[in-house]
Amino acid sequence: MAQEFKIDRLETTRLIGPMVDKHWKGLRTAKERGEKVAWCSGVPFIFAYAMDMKCHFMAGYSAYCAGRKAGEHVLEIAEKTGELQDTCSYHRLHMGMAEAVKRGYDVREDVILPIPDLMIAGRVCPEMSHYAEALYRKFGIDVVGIDLITPYQESDYPFLEKYLEQQFREILIPKMEKVCGKPFNYDRMSEILTVLKKTATIRNECLEYFKKVPSPWTLWDYGVSLAPVIYLMGNPESIPYYEKLKAELEERSKNNISAIVPEEKHRVFWDGWLPWGFLGHFSRKITSYGANPISGRYPWEMFPRPDLIEPEPDPVKTYVKALYSGGMLGNNMAKPGLSLVSEIIPEYHIDGLIFFTAKSCRIWKSQLTIMEKMERKYGIPGVTLEADMADSKMFSEAQIDTRLNAFFEVLEARKEKRRWV
Amino acid sequence: MEEVLRRFTEVSTDPYTSLTKWKEQTGKKIIGSFPMRIPEEIIHASGMLPVVMWRGNEAVTMGHSYVHNFNCGLTRSFIDDAVRDKLTFMDGMIFCRSCLQAEEIPSTIELNAPPRHFLYLYLPPLYPGSAFRDFFIHEMKRMKESLEEWSGQEITKESLENSIAIYDKNRSLLKKVYELRKKKPGTIKAREMLAIVHSSMLMDKEEHSRLLESLLPELEGRKEITDDKISVIIAGALCQTPHTAILDLIEEAGMVIVDDDIYIGSRYFANEIHSSGDPLEALADRNMKKLPPDPTMGDWKTLWTDYMVDKVRENKVQGIITLLIKYCPPHLCYYPDIRRRFVEEGIPEIMLEVEHEVVSIEQIRTRLMAFIEVIRGGV
Repeated sequence: MAQEFKIDRLETTRLIGPMVDKHWKGLRTAKERGEKVAWCSGVPFIFAYAMDMKCHFMAGYSAYCAGRKAGEHVLEIAEKTGELQDTCSYHRLHMGMAEAVKRGYDVREDVILPIPDLMIAGRVCPEMSHYAEALYRKFGIDVVGIDLITPYQESDYPFLEKYLEQQFREILIPKMEKVCGKPFNYDRMSEILTVLKKTATIRNECLEYFKKVPSPWTLWDYGVSLAPVIYLMGNPESIPYYEKLKAELEERSKNNISAIVPEEKHRVFWDGWLPWGFLGHFSRKITSYGANPISGRYPWEMFPRPDLIEPEPDPVKTYVKALYSGGMLGNNMAKPGLSLVSEIIPEYHIDGLIFFTAKSCRIWKSQLTIMEKMERKYGIPGVTLEADMADSKMFSEAQIDTRLNAFFEVLEARKEKRRWV
Repeated sequence: MEEVLRRFTEVSTDPYTSLTKWKEQTGKKIIGSFPMRIPEEIIHASGMLPVVMWRGNEAVTMGHSYVHNFNCGLTRSFIDDAVRDKLTFMDGMIFCRSCLQAEEIPSTIELNAPPRHFLYLYLPPLYPGSAFRDFFIHEMKRMKESLEEWSGQEITKESLENSIAIYDKNRSLLKKVYELRKKKPGTIKAREMLAIVHSSMLMDKEEHSRLLESLLPELEGRKEITDDKISVIIAGALCQTPHTAILDLIEEAGMVIVDDDIYIGSRYFANEIHSSGDPLEALADRNMKKLPPDPTMGDWKTLWTDYMVDKVRENKVQGIITLLIKYCPPHLCYYPDIRRRFVEEGIPEIMLEVEHEVVSIEQIRTRLMAFIEVIRGGV
């Protein structure tokens, strides 16, 4: 009989749900309190937070909506109102939600978004700005555009930082002041960054526990813990959350407790998005092989260098620096991504590579090249899983199972040659 | 005339052979330039030949080991050509950021089949604010310096002005061909028009202009063919060549294409420069013009649908055919607005989704016949 594996869940991660729910509820009910609301793609949401304006974060909301199993319904609304299926599923989620709210279509209350007073179109990928452009054309919603370039290579950081800082100072801050009717609150931005710096520093200490064999936690645990280092930025509850998490990891580590029970058979790298709409589904599949996803490019991009954040005296400058020099923007691009993956594999004792490929999102660059180069360099196998972050129409269950079976067979066969243990 | 058109067609359908031959004859270097926004004039001023990257005629084979199959035809085909060593005549390649797939090609090529010179540009969107124009100029300076350093040839103000004039002349000649087609619909077949514009992207501009000058009077002598034809314009196909088989089909079905809004068409030669000041600034101003609207450029205020409706009205055509390249997100995200607007305006519109490899010609024929019936029936 085949060995059965399961995840020994952390206690701390059970605390994240209420924090996240509170955030989205605060946004959902903002209009009832007469507050203004913004929608934002990319990381400029901090500028709204600094003005005490409730603001959504496009990828974070999409993960929340899909994770709450409400995504498919909103995607259906988008399709019925004319959206085409080959577009980004996050784009469609927002088009569907705006249509639903404007026209009163039935949507689950816990995922409803209020129609924004302002859309901050952070052009991390050009497609992330298309929804804002489309909603302007459809409903006349105010837009401010920020060109948030993902860098091709490290040597470009200096001029990209200058460009972004110019946009923040000349375009975004004046726009926020105009919309909110008050001067920009630099002190509040510094406070948010102070909390972020502390949170991300403890988070980095937590990531060290992934290096332990067996690992006391999984990438799924870290995935659900991302909000405090991104859109819950500045929330003081973030620091105790990560302190508690670290203490639990330390305790497990001391007692050599593995997150995968009865044993951690394989340690895999997970590239690309986390499959937010199907997290439980994928985690059960991967766990059934005794495999633990240890690290990935996406979760590693959340302010990996908190040491570079200096909240005072100039929060705008330091934020820009954290984004580029701090390695927040760029992991998705091939050259910075290749260096990162190349470092991660030996550091985290990785046995195999899973490249999760979202069919409606092409932001993770040159995945096939990275996989091939890493296979050659480290002699470990790789596999691609074609699916999506939120749209189940984009994947074939049988194809994924077949690929995973073959992948883990190869991993098993190469186990003897494993160089890390 | 037939000889000139044959030459244009040869260049358009087999740029590999014509460019290799050109290089042998001239001893000059060739730089591949990503479609739509990179100012070719700067490459030209450095004494090299800029050619706009294209979608090849063959099915993608090895390329699928390097790029996922759910990328657009240009991305997959160009990567396929590069990893199969079909592009070794290109001494350099310059890419820019316009959609996610435009970001996929450069790194995949640089990591697997690097050209001798490589440059990636971050061309800004058309957002309000001077930061974006400033940054465009910054990127043009970076491009100029990179080419100068690599070629060892300084790009002077004079050489750049001269290149701009050469390009302006070609643009004005292409415009004349288009005006002729509008004036005498049917005189130039759609596949001929495609070859005329496409070859301009793949040839020495002065030679192309000379050939165009000899072709124009001949074309003017052709007879107008409009008897009982449905007049249409074609729109879309943002950075890649539409299939000539589909263009033929449109005409065989009984339609005549009077004008277009496609990249390898009227978009390529829109907006002459006539520079009098700083040439880099002039290039920036041309590239940052709001018309024709470009869905990759993030300009939410200038409506592409207005532009298309104006084109329909101005040309007094009976319908519009959208050529939507599969996996082209800027167009896909815009299309619901396009569809809605044409319904509101009562203008017949049909969308044909086209892919690099397989085009179901019979299915398209049936849809086009139905489209004609809708127009004739006034449904």
